[in-house]
Amino acid sequence: MKEKIFEAKDVVVKFNLRGRTLTAIRGASIDLYQGETLAIVGESGSGKSVFTKSFIGMLDKNGWVESGSMCMDGVDFSRYKTEKEWLQVRGKKIAMVFQDPMTSLNPVKTVGEQIREVISYQFGTEKAEAKKQAIELLRQVGINDPEQRYKQYPHEFSGGMRQRVVIATAIACRPQILICDEPTTALDVTVQAQILQLIKKLQKELDMSVIYITHDLGVVANVADRVAVMYAGQIVEYGLAHEIFKDARHPYTKALLLSQPQLGVRGHDLHSIKGSPPNLYKEIKGDAFAPRNPDAMKIDYEYEPPFFKASETHYAKTWLLCDKAEEYCSELAQASAKRAEIAEAPPKDFSNAKPLVSVRNLTVNFKLGRKEFSAVRDVSFDIYEGETFSLVGESGSGKTTTGKAIMKICHTSGGEIYYDGVKINRKMKGHELTDFRKNVQMIFQDPMSSLNERAKVDYIISEGLYNFHAYKNEKERKEKVAAAMHSVGLLEEYTTRFPHEFSGGQRQRIGIARALAVEPRFIIADEPISALDVSIRAQVINLLNRLKNEKGFTYMFIAHDLSVVRFISDRIAVMYKGRVVELAETGELFRNPLHPYTNALLQAAPVPDPDIERDKEVLVYDPSVHHYESEKPYWSEVRPGHFVWANDPELAEYRTRLK
Amino acid sequence: METMKTPEICDLPQGLFTRAEFHEELSEETGFSNYSYWRSTFRTFFKSNVVKVVVILMLLLVAYTIIYPMVTDRDPYTVALSAREWNLPPSQEHPFGTDGVGRDIWARVWFGTRTSLLLSLAVAVFQVGIGVIVGAIWGFYRKLDTLMFAIYNTLTNVPSTIYLVLIAYIMKPSILTIIIALVSTGWISEARWFRSRILALREADYNVASVCLKTPPKRIISRNVVPYLVSLIIMDAALTIPSSIGSEVFLSFIGVGLPQDLCTLGNLVNQGRSAFLVYPYQMICPTLILCFITISFYIIGNKFADASDPRNHV
Repeated sequence: MKEKIFEAKDVVVKFNLRGRTLTAIRGASIDLYQGETLAIVGESGSGKSVFTKSFIGMLDKNGWVESGSMCMDGVDFSRYKTEKEWLQVRGKKIAMVFQDPMTSLNPVKTVGEQIREVISYQFGTEKAEAKKQAIELLRQVGINDPEQRYKQYPHEFSGGMRQRVVIATAIACRPQILICDEPTTALDVTVQAQILQLIKKLQKELDMSVIYITHDLGVVANVADRVAVMYAGQIVEYGLAHEIFKDARHPYTKALLLSQPQLGVRGHDLHSIKGSPPNLYKEIKGDAFAPRNPDAMKIDYEYEPPFFKASETHYAKTWLLCDKAEEYCSELAQASAKRAEIAEAPPKDFSNAKPLVSVRNLTVNFKLGRKEFSAVRDVSFDIYEGETFSLVGESGSGKTTTGKAIMKICHTSGGEIYYDGVKINRKMKGHELTDFRKNVQMIFQDPMSSLNERAKVDYIISEGLYNFHAYKNEKERKEKVAAAMHSVGLLEEYTTRFPHEFSGGQRQRIGIARALAVEPRFIIADEPISALDVSIRAQVINLLNRLKNEKGFTYMFIAHDLSVVRFISDRIAVMYKGRVVELAETGELFRNPLHPYTNALLQAAPVPDPDIERDKEVLVYDPSVHHYESEKPYWSEVRPGHFVWANDPELAEYRTRLK
Repeated sequence: METMKTPEICDLPQGLFTRAEFHEELSEETGFSNYSYWRSTFRTFFKSNVVKVVVILMLLLVAYTIIYPMVTDRDPYTVALSAREWNLPPSQEHPFGTDGVGRDIWARVWFGTRTSLLLSLAVAVFQVGIGVIVGAIWGFYRKLDTLMFAIYNTLTNVPSTIYLVLIAYIMKPSILTIIIALVSTGWISEARWFRSRILALREADYNVASVCLKTPPKRIISRNVVPYLVSLIIMDAALTIPSSIGSEVFLSFIGVGLPQDLCTLGNLVNQGRSAFLVYPYQMICPTLILCFITISFYIIGNKFADASDPRNHV
């Protein structure tokens, strides 16, 4: 075993919130060894960020470390009070990389200047010398032409490049520990893979220990040597990465691993965790996860379990590992074995179906100052009645704009959109528009911003009913609201509450209920799960799938990650820079991806399995591989139902590959 | 990490290690906060001691201006015929002294404060009311931009003093004239301020969702937008009060305000000015009250603005 360089023990962090004292961290402990990568996994509200922020004294003003110790080189930080003391640690010994590169850089200073300042401040280096070092750092984090880039401002950098700059600032003082707080959550999947690789490279070069904070098990599988799982302010399980992924012991970890959308089998429900994660206001007795665990034991409701040893390196805080629970464990094992292998449902046949939505040569241009650019270029596709059609692409690929254009909340600059045979991208008469709005609804990405905070749930869900006069009397309206609430799995009495009393997943379900209440036929779901907690995602996916089967909806699913849409989509279209580059039936697309960008996307999506993730090569899509100057590309069908954007030589190559 | 001591585990009855009943509804309980926007706003507002003192003093002052004219038998308009009653310094009987014709300044100040407060309240209500309505329409119908900006530029580029003087000259000096004069210059800035607030809100997801449901703009404004801005509207009204009292004083001071014989703070200050060098208290006393009211409203308005920001609700 390597040398232990940092040890946090029984840390308790409390917050004062509106006159109440809340415990955010309830006695969490962690060890960190030289040169290793530790991942702390947990969902929002589990306290993972607060826990690590307490290591460098960056808790919010109303929070404090109540008890416990944080030792590094024999010094206990938890007694530090003043900023001056903390500056000994912050940046020098422990540095932090935050989630959003947008907010962690100063927009009015050049990036080089920001790095140079850190070096000059910490080591008192001469300006010219510090500049040289800063340029060297920029080169080290993989920024091309660092001399030029040194003089540029943050807004001239893309998101991924900005995150590289943030990393450069963090490693400027040669910290021993680098804490990365969701470093790639705000980035595209393809960029994410590059950043993860960069951090790995730097870790080796500088011999740092890295703590990752993330909710993404795919990322964890990619980077972590050891994993700690956090739930409700406590570490519930920790061990080596393969122990956690292959032999999880805590029911929460097990459920989390099972509910990954990647593991879904088409035509069947995903394994999902019931309920919502507790927040700080909830009083916790016994095992915090017990109320959401259908297999909980009586003792879980009574006593908090201690850590039990599963192996030398693997501990879990669950009563299941207690000797007395052996009998119950074998009972559980039998039950899970009974859940026999389930077969994948065959893909649906849409060859004779009639298109519900047709998009023909859709173009959307935006004016940016005087320049005009195309967010969507010449996009054509059909969505058949009853299918789930997914549009996948990175941010800026025009997928959301396409969705909004179909929703008629965004202008179009060219092409046609037909809904049920009627052209809709024109000025519609009042009753036509009413008809359209009744039939087409949208589910939004961010449940935090998509609900009116000042209205009760009852009004939010009834909004459409009011608008379309879809009820005869007050009683019928109430019944419809209750039915909508029920179908998304929420209690009827919640209708008198305000949105802020709900968790993210519950809010998203209220948003779905709002769209459902008007009984639409076609639903556009704009990244409905990307803002949700991992344990909630499976719930929402199952809900959308169930509603589709019950009510015969047609979905258009917008997503940035192929793995998520795999098991729910019938067909998938991949978008890149405003253009659909490939469109195929789901199985076909995953078996035979043709366009290089599709390949890059498939490759980049992290898989929650350390064996696969570890030796993965990162594919970067470079548009210059195409030679489109001489031979113009066009949209063509290489195989029935499989379309790709390519020119003649490429098509010839694709065809031979398919044979 | 230590494990629990063995005897304790031994003591646990075997019966506890069996399946517990699972209640799906319980799993939905996240534990919810008793957060309420208005309660938190007021709690944050009254946390500051300055606010507590100012609010109490303001309440006392307002109560006094209401009660005093009702209970006193002193008439602020009675002129003393005897010259011995003229220009008396402050005393037990006349706390602020008397003016050049023997009228009791204490009584005049409180009658004047009442008039001025009522007037500024009316201005605040009308100015903010019109501003909010126009601003909401302006924010929602982008086609109005050209027209509204033309009006805005015209009205704001010419100093408002000129209109005030003009309107005051054209119409008969009366309380209504002053209200019309002040509201007609103030509404456009309110509307513009409110429009920018609406623009920031109208692109929010929940408003787009309402558009998708074909909610009419009228209801989007009344249910989705205005409730978010109520605290800002209150703050804005509170800040309009001192500025309209100030404008009234200014207009009266240059002689185009309310009729000379009416008791208002503006007239009192104006009349005190003429005797300032000989009898300074005749101007200083009403000015002190004026300053107190103005400053208090500014403090209340600003502190309320801070308190209404959810980021300060800690």
